[in-house]
Amino acid sequence: MDEGQLKKILNDAPVPPVDENAQKIAVNLALAEFAAAQADERNNISQGSSLWGRLTGRSHMKRRDPMKKKIVYGGMATAMVAVLAVGVTFQQGLMGTTSMTPQASINQMQFIEFDRSQTAGASARVESDQLAAAMHGRASEQQVIASVDEKPLERWRKIQDAPRQAANEASAPQRADVPDARLALPESVPVQEMEMADAAMNRAAPVAPAMKMAMTEEKRKAEGVVGSYTAPYVVQPEPMPQDLHKDVGRDKFEDFEENPIKLVQQEPVSTFSIDVDTSSYAFLRKQINAGVLPQKDAVRVEEMINYFDYDYALPDDKAQPFKPSVTVLDSPWHEGRKLVHIGIKGYDIPKTESPRSNLVFLLDTSGSMNEPDKLPLLISSLKLLLDSLKPDDTVAIVTYAGSAGTVLEPTKAAEKAKIIAALENLNAGGSTAGAEGIRQAYTLAEAGFDKEAVNRVILATDGDFNVGITNPEELQDFVERKRESGIFLSVFGFGQGNYNDQMMQALAQNGNGVAAYIDTLNEARKVLVEESSSTLFPIAKDVKIQVEFNPTTVAEYRLVGYETRKLNREDFNNDKVDAGDIGAGHTVTAIYEITPVGGPLAVDGSRYAAKSEASVKPESGEYGFLKLRYKLPDQDTSKLIETPIIAQDTAQTYCGPAQDCEPSAPYASDDVRFSIAVASFGQMLKGSKYTGKMSYDDMIAMAQDAKASDEFGYRAEFINLVRLAKTAAALPANRP
Amino acid sequence: MSAECDSELVKKATGGDARAFEALVNRHYATMFKMAFKWCGNRADAEDITQNACIKLARALKTYEHKAAFTTWLYRLVINTAIDMKRHEKRHDHAQAEMDEMQGSDSPEASLYAKEILKEIGRLPEKEKTAILLVFGEGMNHAEAAYVMEVKESTVSWYIHEARKKLDQFNSHQNKERHHG
Repeated sequence: MDEGQLKKILNDAPVPPVDENAQKIAVNLALAEFAAAQADERNNISQGSSLWGRLTGRSHMKRRDPMKKKIVYGGMATAMVAVLAVGVTFQQGLMGTTSMTPQASINQMQFIEFDRSQTAGASARVESDQLAAAMHGRASEQQVIASVDEKPLERWRKIQDAPRQAANEASAPQRADVPDARLALPESVPVQEMEMADAAMNRAAPVAPAMKMAMTEEKRKAEGVVGSYTAPYVVQPEPMPQDLHKDVGRDKFEDFEENPIKLVQQEPVSTFSIDVDTSSYAFLRKQINAGVLPQKDAVRVEEMINYFDYDYALPDDKAQPFKPSVTVLDSPWHEGRKLVHIGIKGYDIPKTESPRSNLVFLLDTSGSMNEPDKLPLLISSLKLLLDSLKPDDTVAIVTYAGSAGTVLEPTKAAEKAKIIAALENLNAGGSTAGAEGIRQAYTLAEAGFDKEAVNRVILATDGDFNVGITNPEELQDFVERKRESGIFLSVFGFGQGNYNDQMMQALAQNGNGVAAYIDTLNEARKVLVEESSSTLFPIAKDVKIQVEFNPTTVAEYRLVGYETRKLNREDFNNDKVDAGDIGAGHTVTAIYEITPVGGPLAVDGSRYAAKSEASVKPESGEYGFLKLRYKLPDQDTSKLIETPIIAQDTAQTYCGPAQDCEPSAPYASDDVRFSIAVASFGQMLKGSKYTGKMSYDDMIAMAQDAKASDEFGYRAEFINLVRLAKTAAALPANRP
Repeated sequence: MSAECDSELVKKATGGDARAFEALVNRHYATMFKMAFKWCGNRADAEDITQNACIKLARALKTYEHKAAFTTWLYRLVINTAIDMKRHEKRHDHAQAEMDEMQGSDSPEASLYAKEILKEIGRLPEKEKTAILLVFGEGMNHAEAAYVMEVKESTVSWYIHEARKKLDQFNSHQNKERHHG
């Protein structure tokens, strides 16, 4: 071979265009490292804290060996997979390709990460054509094999049709932007098809309560301990249960329903606790990026909204830590309805005035953490956090696996090298005695309690507590008692597949804490560096919101999100009742959709109730009255902020290019409109009962229009996510 | 994008100017990504390599001695990053080693032959692959490649020689198969 030929081949090898978001992330991380390097230089610390070698956990997940995929017994859906596996293996035998074992189960499906943007139009088309052809060719054979039972056959056809449709769609030339890389994975066709069928099944089956662990505890443990556990090849379908249910991974979420529409006549007062957690958004981002729509219980709309930072008005003086900004505008979901948008921004403590921190890291080093996106990412994340600490802050480390142990006694942050050495010595192994660890961490935090400082336990785990107290309620009781001691709790979630969100939420909500989910190093940077002051320094605790609607002006209302944060009406004034905390600079957004009197009602009026044609009261100029209660971090009695909600549009919603809008009020701020776009997306993911005819495209347009400066690219990332979800949702036509 | 501008930015950045550093990273991200992609052959890995190289750059920048062009020096960084990452991964998961071969391009336009050659290049020992990519892919002379790889010029020549021998073997093997088959 001559030189010229070789040069030509190398030069012709096409390189895909740069992904803007990937660049933004890389630049952000590089800048964080740059800042850390500068700080180290000032403090004369050589190396050691480098981000280098820290993993994003991204590519590693993708490259998971297909041989390692496990089948989990459980439910109809899995049984279907087993049937499928028989068919495909048979087929493979014929073709003489034995290199791939298509044992993709629904659970494992989520681990395969597809690179969304990798798919250049051309290759997507070619490969999906092949795929479609292969599917058509093999359909008859598979149907024969799959006809074990009447019902599964029906289902199977449905499932099979969906991906074929999608594949055809993807091959149409105008769909060059198909971000679903499943179509372009350079793997054998049977495997692709398996995955598509899986994905289809994932969405086709209704999200049944069965997702709450169809597996036995033992089995969960067995699998949780070692990542490479390989289940025996499954060929027999399990006996089919009566109702169709499925096992969606082993990620545990509390299940809850969306808030229904309420009649002002019957229930004029709405009360809830604020929630500044962001874990739901980070978790579902991870899922959607993997080409899977998240399970509905994983979607908490308020956490999605509050993931983003908004520029709401700041309080005028410091005595009051925040002030609510209320915007009334037309609802984009239903004509004739209004949105009441309540935004709260806490004041930010300047770095120089921030209190000292007394931190206890409570780290899960059990076997289940032994994955690139868990312990290694956790260690990297904490190194990032170290950079944002002040020299006289103290740090202690407690780990728990089979047993709990103190790895590092309280140490000044100035001794960074020592802390880092302790972090780097961590290894994952053993089962998880979470409760014991929590106890020890609180003991340590109490021992080093500093009245002037913020005392905080930082728990990092995948939530899979399986030794000692494993009942969320008991643990909850424990942290609830500890709350009295003035120690705050932060919960950082890691990993997927075994993620116990319910446990995290229970702990964070009851222990004066916040929960965040960390899926990448960039997310760690956001939570621990960029937002370190809101993560570390509370400015108010037990913040509750109560809105009383005016029955003469408002007929119906519905609160978007906050389902898991509902409070009773009487809880509002009871200072003993716990509620959410706000950190320095945090923003909280709540959105109500209301139907003004005379608007299009969702609920029929009562025929027999006394008509309340009361005389027009002076308050008729108000939609309602907003009350906010909060306690300063070191106080036990609450303070009250009140403001009326004026029955008049204060801003105008986004209007698309097709609509003809008369500017009746000033345009709503980018922040308000963006948060509404996020709310729309969240509700869509939850089943879109209330989003009317709004489509994914409307959301994209709305968010795009309200993107503003978007310094770190989070909003751009959101838009990308909606696009991905749109494609994922388009796969099976039947949304449950 | 003149060399002078680069070195000015580097000087500012090493002096602690975060803006200059940001500009530098933004300017060279695409170049680094391209290098990384050629080295590993797929987007996800290339992005990871580039990301890590960018992070590494934050501390490594002060070791740049302005002897070679900045981009040449960047090559060294990216390739070392790629090699380190691969080793790191291997330690963690042996099963992955097989999947690390260069996948060439996914493009259907590239001829089958070119694809096979790219694959073969991907299978070469690390150093030989690097030498081939630098000399034939980037058009560097052996001295420049030697700088990037931190070896002697004669060593680069040796790597190239070895690599070509292997590729020629593969080639003639292929030809034979074609004739017999």
